[in-house]
Amino acid sequence: MQLISGNFVILWVISFALYYLVPVKRQWIILALASALFYVIGTGGLPVGLLLTGVSTYACGVWLSGNLKKQKETLSTIADKEQKKAVKLGFEKRRKRVQILYFVLNLGILLFTKYMTAALPFLEGTGLLGLRTDAFFSGIVMPLGISFYTLTAIGYVVDVGREQCEAQENPGKLLLCLAYFPAITQGPFNRFGKLQGEFDRPHAFDFERMFFGVQRFVWGAFKKLVIADRINLFVGSVFGPGGAEAPGSIYAVATVLYMLQLYADFSGYMDMALGVSETFDIFLPENFRRPYFSGSVAEFWRRWHITLGTWFKDYVMFSFVMSSVGRKIGKGAKKRWPKMGRHVTGIIGTTLVWLLTGAWHGRTVSYLLWGIYYGAIMCVSLVLEPQYALWRQKLHIKEGKIFMLFRMARTWVIVFLADILIRSESLFQAGHIYRALLLDFRLREGISDVTSYGLSRYGFLLLLAACALWLCVSVLEERGKDVRRLLAACPMPVRWGCYYGVALLLLITGIYGGSYDTAAFLYQSF
Amino acid sequence: MEEKVLEILEEYCEEALAYTGENMMEEGVIDSFTVINIVSELEDIFDIEIDAKYVVAENFRNKEAIIELVRRLTKEA
Repeated sequence: MQLISGNFVILWVISFALYYLVPVKRQWIILALASALFYVIGTGGLPVGLLLTGVSTYACGVWLSGNLKKQKETLSTIADKEQKKAVKLGFEKRRKRVQILYFVLNLGILLFTKYMTAALPFLEGTGLLGLRTDAFFSGIVMPLGISFYTLTAIGYVVDVGREQCEAQENPGKLLLCLAYFPAITQGPFNRFGKLQGEFDRPHAFDFERMFFGVQRFVWGAFKKLVIADRINLFVGSVFGPGGAEAPGSIYAVATVLYMLQLYADFSGYMDMALGVSETFDIFLPENFRRPYFSGSVAEFWRRWHITLGTWFKDYVMFSFVMSSVGRKIGKGAKKRWPKMGRHVTGIIGTTLVWLLTGAWHGRTVSYLLWGIYYGAIMCVSLVLEPQYALWRQKLHIKEGKIFMLFRMARTWVIVFLADILIRSESLFQAGHIYRALLLDFRLREGISDVTSYGLSRYGFLLLLAACALWLCVSVLEERGKDVRRLLAACPMPVRWGCYYGVALLLLITGIYGGSYDTAAFLYQSF
Repeated sequence: MEEKVLEILEEYCEEALAYTGENMMEEGVIDSFTVINIVSELEDIFDIEIDAKYVVAENFRNKEAIIELVRRLTKEA
């Protein structure tokens, strides 16, 4: 079930009505039932993968919590410091073993399902399984939201082990945290403890909150249907079959538009998910903070898919650096290279995170290269940061508006080059496009032909108007304004003019149906 | 102890000294690379082990939180 569908709206409205009718202690049950319905309709079968992860997560969380309690009780009876240390180490070792077993099981399921679809044609070709593999794996391969709930569950188990989160003793509530329906398809990734707290507090109906939630949902649908799906008509035509002959200037336009498409599509989904959740008085973490206003790539990734970045930072990077292996490497490097050695564990951690980010986004070599590209830029810029500051001082470059614009343009160029890699159908096409941008730009031909790639002159004008509106909203938000509150404070004709204007634009100019599947979100496939 | 922590912060991230907010890590004042360097330096100077569970936004929200973390860990050690 997609967020932009009649079924979803019906589910939303009914669960919303029931949610505020039942006693506050039972509100979570309505959300759990809605999530179960969303999941079962979405997958069309029993959620085997989700249940497996749910059961193992529940068991692991409860066991870890019990073990920690037992450790405290045992330690309180021991007076000798050395003996205390040894007993504590024993408990820690047992917890680590159980956690590793849990990670292997759940990451194994995730990797198996994520990479199985890529391996299917190969398996079928070999005839090793002696059956039609697509039929065999249908329904098991890629359970809905598997990346989302697996990473959330792993985060929970780590947090319980680190005593940063209480173990959930109610299996229903645990499953709700893993499969909360507005977020399960694409996130945002939630810190389990925070989301748990959201479900636990009482929620009273509030008209303004409901209205704001609906507004955010509509704005998200606007970004998706009016901007992202319109851009897709052009981008799909340029990068798809037959686009190989386009001049470099057309590829440049298509790539810039693809950058906007990805952002409108993904942040549009987030607006919808957060808007729906807001109507239930459940606040999910923000996943975007206007990334294209960033002055550096590091800042860009702090503003883009924030919750995934935080997850990788907290559970991969810091876990590695602070592990015994990470510490050994760090100390050894510091001894060997007193000046640069301190950066070594950070560089390894960053590289690890970016390789995983690449692999998480896609299963092709292009995504791996994409991860290496960003990892390398990140490492180099972080290591050289003090040098940059010195050069700026020597060249008397002031940190004014012009310098900020230069930095933003530099970020755009870096992202532009990376996006060619992931949008191209193959590495060969990506190579062809880089070549065309450098050696075959043909600006005049590009200008005269730009409307012959799936998007008419009218389509471009409409897109420009929609993007201008989007930019205005983004600039206001960047200045710290709450646009929904600003609108609410406007005189009634202005206010309702804006509401109806956006809704009408969405209804009249949104891309519905046709050859492109409007309901599919780009990030859903990551 | 406080002075030493501030000296380390000055060396690795001067902006952290002037920062008065409550979310230094998430606001990008201090990046993960710098956090790793600061943690490593704090471990060496104060002879403590800062486990990954302590390297969270909450403990690095501002300079006072870092000082508090070091104080707590040196006491425990």
